[in-house]
Amino acid sequence: MRLKSGQDLATGALFVAIGVAALWIGADYPLGTAQRPGTGVLPRILAWCLIGTGALLWLKALLRGGPRLGGWAWRPALMVTLAVAAFALLIDRLGLVVAMLGSMTLAALGTPETRWREYALFAVLMLIIGIGVFRYGLGMPVTVLPKQLPGNMPWELPWK
Amino acid sequence: MEIGTLLANLALGVSVAVTLQNLGWCLAGAVIGTAIGVLPGVGPVATMALLLPVTYLLPAEGALIMLAGIYYGAQYGGSTTAILVNLPGESSSVVTTLDGHQMARQGRAGSALAIAALGSFFAGCIATLAIVVAAPPLSRLAQQFRPEDYFSLMVLGLVFAIVLASGSVLKAFGMVFLGMLLGLVGTDVNTGNTRFTFGISDLFDGIGFVPLAMGVFGIAEIIANLTNRERRDLATSRVSGLLPTREDIRRSVAPVLRGTFLGGLLGILPGGGAILASFSAYTLEKRLSPTPEKFGTGMIEGVAAPESANNAAAQTSFIPMLTLGIPSNAVMAMMIGGMMIHGIIPGPQVMEQRPGLFWGMIVSMWIGNLMLVVLNLPLIGLWVRLLLVPYRLLAIAILFFCCIGVYSLNNSANEVLIIAAFGLFGYLLMKLGCEPAPLLLGFLLGPMMEVYLRRAMLLSRGDPLVFVQRPLSLAFLLLAAVLLLFVVVPTVRKARERAFRDGN
Amino acid sequence: MRCREAFLRFAWVALAASLFVGIPARAQNPAQNWPDRPVKLILPYAPGGATDLIGRPWAEKLSQAFGQQFVIENRGGAAGAIGTETAAKTAPDGYTFLLTPNATLSILPLLRTTPYDPVKSFLPVGRVGDIVGGFVIHPAVGPKTFKEMVEYAKKNPGKLSFGSAGLGTATQLRLEMLKWRAGIDILHVPYRGSADALNDLLPNTVQMMNEINVLPHVKAGKLILLNINYSQRHPDFPDVPTLTELGYPNSDVPIWFGILAPAGTPKEIVDKLNAKIVEIAKSDDMKARMQALSVVLPLQTPEEVAKHLEEDTKRNADVIRIANIKLD
Repeated sequence: MRLKSGQDLATGALFVAIGVAALWIGADYPLGTAQRPGTGVLPRILAWCLIGTGALLWLKALLRGGPRLGGWAWRPALMVTLAVAAFALLIDRLGLVVAMLGSMTLAALGTPETRWREYALFAVLMLIIGIGVFRYGLGMPVTVLPKQLPGNMPWELPWK
Repeated sequence: MEIGTLLANLALGVSVAVTLQNLGWCLAGAVIGTAIGVLPGVGPVATMALLLPVTYLLPAEGALIMLAGIYYGAQYGGSTTAILVNLPGESSSVVTTLDGHQMARQGRAGSALAIAALGSFFAGCIATLAIVVAAPPLSRLAQQFRPEDYFSLMVLGLVFAIVLASGSVLKAFGMVFLGMLLGLVGTDVNTGNTRFTFGISDLFDGIGFVPLAMGVFGIAEIIANLTNRERRDLATSRVSGLLPTREDIRRSVAPVLRGTFLGGLLGILPGGGAILASFSAYTLEKRLSPTPEKFGTGMIEGVAAPESANNAAAQTSFIPMLTLGIPSNAVMAMMIGGMMIHGIIPGPQVMEQRPGLFWGMIVSMWIGNLMLVVLNLPLIGLWVRLLLVPYRLLAIAILFFCCIGVYSLNNSANEVLIIAAFGLFGYLLMKLGCEPAPLLLGFLLGPMMEVYLRRAMLLSRGDPLVFVQRPLSLAFLLLAAVLLLFVVVPTVRKARERAFRDGN
Repeated sequence: MRCREAFLRFAWVALAASLFVGIPARAQNPAQNWPDRPVKLILPYAPGGATDLIGRPWAEKLSQAFGQQFVIENRGGAAGAIGTETAAKTAPDGYTFLLTPNATLSILPLLRTTPYDPVKSFLPVGRVGDIVGGFVIHPAVGPKTFKEMVEYAKKNPGKLSFGSAGLGTATQLRLEMLKWRAGIDILHVPYRGSADALNDLLPNTVQMMNEINVLPHVKAGKLILLNINYSQRHPDFPDVPTLTELGYPNSDVPIWFGILAPAGTPKEIVDKLNAKIVEIAKSDDMKARMQALSVVLPLQTPEEVAKHLEEDTKRNADVIRIANIKLD
């Protein structure tokens, strides 16, 4: 039997893997009674459904044709993910400005088309918009500049 | 309600709503609402929370009018990002991405946005009328629903989620199951046990809808577009006219009507009917259409119906809040908070004790809808031109707004990390040919379904027959079964035919 | 030259001595000048809930009283544990306080391990509101008074159902306390908040509740209020007896709100804030506003609040043990 569909096979594998993981993690969840279905009832049902679907997809991959797996875009995938993670990690520790710059730059690195001078102008514009709209417009309690710099309140009041 | 009292009430409402201040607050709410609706990630609940202290300083009517404006303004704005950049800001705009974004890729973003706005306005008018004429009887109708009925309705909703997928049915099933599993992450409300949380306290309340949606839709889309030049150029280069064609309008009339009716009915269910509004309408259109396979490629009906449905539901979801003091969702709970800050205790007596407030709010809802349409239609040109920004910059902007939006929900950086994780996962799903929409719908409906299942079983003292004994519940389950057959049987038949052919 | 040396040495000593004198003076200044910048009130629930409705008027009044902004920060999640933990871990400099219902301190830690110690992590400052509610029943069930309800429940064990705001909430404890004291069996149905429960109470899907969001419906005649869970009667319902009057003393599970400071906050600041809280609680305006929410304002010193918390915790522990409430 020839493999006719890389995509279906991989998807099936993903489903089965997640289903099995769910079963394994949720093995201890109590099942309860008929009147009080427990914590584990629905996860178990869903896990089996997922495994079943994955198995059917494997069958389909073996018997029928299907789309092939396309190429992967490593660079943007990595950089964009890092960009979001950077924002999360930086914003509480070093403030909005550093978080924005960090994440935007990482994202810009994710594509070969970035023109750096253009990016620099754009970054400044985004900083202005971001700080203006969120910090001052909506009054979000978010640090703008790193706390280590003197003279910055950790939080200020937008009203009065 | 006789015409005389109706007109008297409306007159009272108009006198309250059409004052310079209240019109101003309505406009402010509508503008803010649209703005945050357009910004991916920031939602009406977070904004209302941020502005609650301000409403404190306003008179009661003004405060509530502004809060309401923010709410449905966000509905209008949310469809904008769904259509333009495939990013659903709210659960109600998930379905709009299916055909709306495809239309944008074909250069018809203007038409999609216009039909969405006009359909929403029409739905809003009708729904407001419904509230005026029949709020008490409608809320009594909603009270007929018991947990069994809600459960079966959720099951029906899950079947809708599978039906509306345009790709492989098997994968859609998988996505729904996976979505439901993701929805179960967190504390099990009935027992206090935690599920799938690995001891991380940020996961105790579950994965948030917004981070998940931002990740699976937004980030994944950005990753895909940054690599695949062809895919992206299709999305941003063509803008063939801002107005809908006559053909588009003709095709939208019936879907708008159907969507309004369906959404309006679902919205009055305090137990979560409004969520179902947009994708029930979509599924209905798909089933009624002579070309269901074209759904997902840019059918205008797939935008007109859900948009009307979700706006109708948004308006009618005020009914349980206004007549009984029961909030249907987090936004209504905010409104109740706003009322109580002003010393108004929500409940059945509000209609009698503060008729000016009650009717004034209803009239201002209609005015708000009008303002939104007037605001949004000209803005369409602006939004569409935004698409012409080079993608390498647009992507960065979208990324930033997703991050800050999610961060603003709970001041939580960890939720932003969730976006990162699901972004990568979403890209994986995209590569595997799995659609994200059923995942999100399963995510929303799964936990609700479980809540109602358990509540029904608890109240029936363990008797599972209740689900088929109640007529409403039985009707929903049968409908779900029929729809499922419609979807599964052709696939199975095709598979057998092909197996036959291959065998020969 | 020796004069100059002596002078310089004297100057150094004087300078050093003045620093030493200055330091305790500066350390005392925070309490004397407190508050000299905005103060943060952490509310451990999402905005729009009961805690907000009580917290916001207080923030407003305190801001007026001290001339400095008292700002509310909502930090919801994990049934109040996240916000409470955040407050426990902030610096005890008198510029961050916790405004919370007793659930986070006297109920939640008894049911699971919390990342804070309700007694050791906090210094109680004052009480800002007690909720006055009672058991309500749907008229279609039959019983119209508390006694009738108890008789009905005794004749039909497990038939009555009660909707609570959730597992491990004060409302569930109230039910369990009732079951224990009256010796009856009622089915507990947990909901996701009081609004969710009210939705099922109105069509008689569930039959009883004990929350304040039902009170407007009682006034409208749709529900029957059986009793009051408090030491005094509700001013809007003067005919409804308290549990003690009905013959069940010590059967309340009070729901009360307090302001607490992180442990280590200077006593002067705590006392100053408490004095203002008591003063505001006595004002007619505040009393009227709180009454509209079914909230009364007791007056207590910080030590009394600490004792109240201790008694509350002990009583809740008993109920939890007897009713075998577990988050498992």
